[in-house]
Amino acid sequence: MLAKLKRNFKQELDPWSGSTLFLALIILAPLLTVAIGLGDTGPKWEHLKSTVLFGYVSNTIILSLSVVILATLFAVPSAWLVTAYEFPGRGLFSWALALPLAIPTYVAAFVYYQFPEAAIPLLVYIRSAWGIDAFQTAETLLRYGLLATFMAAVLYPYIYLSARASFSQQRRQVIEAAQTLGRSPRSVFLSIALPLSRPALAAGIGLVVMEVINDYGAVHFFGVPTLTEGIFRTWFGLADRSSALRLAGFIMVVVFAILLLEKTTRGRARFAEPSNSALPIRRRRLKGLPALASSMTCLIPLTLGFLFPAAQLLIWTSQTFSRVFRADFIHHLLNSLLLAFATALVLTALSLLIAYTVKLRPGKWLRGIVGISALGYSIPGAVVAVGVMVSLGNVDRLNASWLKTEDGPKLLLSGTLTAIGFAYIVRFLAVSLQPLQSGLRRVCGSLDEASRTLGVGPAKTLCKINIPLLKGTLIAAFTLVFVDILKELPLTMILRPANFETMATTAFSLAKEGRIRECAVPSFIILITGAIGLGLINRFLKIESP
Amino acid sequence: MKLFSKIVLAAILANLATLVSGDEITLYSHRHYDSDRDLYAAFTKKSGIKVNVVKASADELIERLKAEGENSKADILMTVDAGRLQRAKAAGLLQSIESKVLKDRIPASYRDPENQWFGLSVRARVIVYAADRVKPSELSTYENLASPSWRGRLLARSSSNIYNQSIMASIIAQHGVNDARDWAAAVRGNMARPPQGNDRDQIRAVAAGLGDAALVNTYYVGLLINSSNAKDREIGNSVSLFFPNQKDRGTPVNVSGAGIAKASKNPEGAIKFLEFLASKEAQSTFPQATYEYPVSTDVPWSNLQKTWGEFKPDTLNLGMLGELNEAAATVFNESGWE
Repeated sequence: MLAKLKRNFKQELDPWSGSTLFLALIILAPLLTVAIGLGDTGPKWEHLKSTVLFGYVSNTIILSLSVVILATLFAVPSAWLVTAYEFPGRGLFSWALALPLAIPTYVAAFVYYQFPEAAIPLLVYIRSAWGIDAFQTAETLLRYGLLATFMAAVLYPYIYLSARASFSQQRRQVIEAAQTLGRSPRSVFLSIALPLSRPALAAGIGLVVMEVINDYGAVHFFGVPTLTEGIFRTWFGLADRSSALRLAGFIMVVVFAILLLEKTTRGRARFAEPSNSALPIRRRRLKGLPALASSMTCLIPLTLGFLFPAAQLLIWTSQTFSRVFRADFIHHLLNSLLLAFATALVLTALSLLIAYTVKLRPGKWLRGIVGISALGYSIPGAVVAVGVMVSLGNVDRLNASWLKTEDGPKLLLSGTLTAIGFAYIVRFLAVSLQPLQSGLRRVCGSLDEASRTLGVGPAKTLCKINIPLLKGTLIAAFTLVFVDILKELPLTMILRPANFETMATTAFSLAKEGRIRECAVPSFIILITGAIGLGLINRFLKIESP
Repeated sequence: MKLFSKIVLAAILANLATLVSGDEITLYSHRHYDSDRDLYAAFTKKSGIKVNVVKASADELIERLKAEGENSKADILMTVDAGRLQRAKAAGLLQSIESKVLKDRIPASYRDPENQWFGLSVRARVIVYAADRVKPSELSTYENLASPSWRGRLLARSSSNIYNQSIMASIIAQHGVNDARDWAAAVRGNMARPPQGNDRDQIRAVAAGLGDAALVNTYYVGLLINSSNAKDREIGNSVSLFFPNQKDRGTPVNVSGAGIAKASKNPEGAIKFLEFLASKEAQSTFPQATYEYPVSTDVPWSNLQKTWGEFKPDTLNLGMLGELNEAAATVFNESGWE
């Protein structure tokens, strides 16, 4: 058995898989320092189990479920409408519905926190009319409801984008056959389009769940402690690192299970994928009330997730711009843009190499290790940061002991931009890897295999066939990572060099000082940059798809 | 062999050179105040030593110091409570220093007996209340907030917050773990809503009538009263402030302070920096800029602080807040205070 595994392993090792394996293992190292804690029980584990663990788990489940339900309601009907119908504003909605991706949940949290505050008079009235219990129930419902609503409103694009892509790839023949056979539009959607898109929806929902589990700022602010907050309370409050890492490990396992589930459903549904010759659905024109209803269905999520927060930030920005926009602010802005640009470039290139190798050498070993090393997306940024710090600290110690007689300090990695860049790669590999892997499957199909059968080497095939075909997907992967890095807060906070500020850390410092209106300036810049990026993706992907 | 010793000598000289020319210090700080930047600039102007800053939460910075070990570039760890400094000390991340200036300027209860950390500004955690809904006779001690008469009227932020943990530590120090647990459960039961938001949000909720009294640090009221936002100013001015436990142990206080990192490559510069922050010049900025109390006794309070009045601070050694921090977090979990 072991000998067989060894043989398989040896067969798979060549320059391509070797370098990919090496990369994947480097990226895996910080995650392993986290996973090591999984086995041992910390001194406070029993205490956690008997007191707060149930609350963390139930809060996480309730919040994830309600966000997923709401986000699906926001995403799926609108995605189907913009694909299958023609109505006023359709062209605009079609891409604008992705815009909430540009808003970090922590920014949405402070924009939306005005509402529980504004609702205080109502709650006071409820207390005076119906007593304390009714008041407390109302307060809890309001808070959970608001938290779930705005999280769903900024996260639904993950589902929307995959749903729209899947709907638009469905065969026109199937849909039209059903229509000819007298199926109502609703029945076509519910019994054909929706079931065919199940794998795509599962992928989008998986991303939403990860984002919810990962969030720290919004849930803390709204007083709904989830597992991620539990990690920090256990680590820092109870000073029990082992139990904290155990919680982080559990989250990783759950997310891995979700991903696996998603992969297996996709695996079974692969035959349902369209051939390249499939015609896109012909859009039916809507008039009158249905047209109006369709526009509203698209307008509601767009307003909650983008228009309202953006307008609020714009108003605050116009009030406080002159107070925040000082000389060093431009410096911080450049920091943000350059760091995000450089890291996104490196990460996209690495992801291409990894995705291509996995396609080139479809062995279980490689795919498994690559899959695990992309798990950084599933654990909270601060935990990744600690993993990276510990790993790099060890490398530095090794360096320092080897290079004692030379000018040691200059070779250290801790506290450098390289450390942050590396941490971003560990954290966001999945974000660029997933579109590239599906792009290689979808866009390139067996074209590259044909090229290699004709005797062209893998490197040349990659350059001549895959990269030109994947241009749009590459730009999309780059932009998604770029926007994510721009929004990223906890990693940047913990790992940054001295005197280094980005837009996200500037926003955080201002919010920490209670200067919420001032905080709108850097937040608005993050939002606008992200929105421009998403506009670009839209343009390039349009060129690519027929 | 000769070549080898030459290289070693050159390396030592190079290291010495960096030490001598190393007229900069790196500060790992939890503080986010804009006014700190002016203070650091004043220090640089005076001493010629440049101040580099890494800002993150104290817990995260402590993890970073641990991970970096002796290669860390940090010279100073600055936190917003004594408990975290004590924790850094216990983890062996700080070093003892000798400074007559610091000993003279900072009262003994606000610094580590072994000279590993020093308080630089004082914070008092008090009860902020709505004068029209709270009778003066209802206000006495933190312990009294457990009374059933407060049901549905109290507000506080989450127990993961270090200020609440330090209050809890002071109650454990006074009454022991079991009574502290009962106290926390009763206070949680008296809350108008589950813990959420920050100290400012509790003050806002008192002003809006959601609850009648809240646990907050005094300087948050100062920041609201002096805010650039008119609504915040109105809120700050509408609430009243009460220093609890004046008739027994005194109002629990804490410090924002700093210690010199064990790995510091420039401890002399770091000591100079701390001595500057303890100087009359720097101390007199705290009451005006951040509404914190000065740690030294020869500096006048701001007018606002004078209107709040003199108070008796709890004399519990602040290091105890760190020693009891873990017990405090445990008791909070057991009591159901989220």
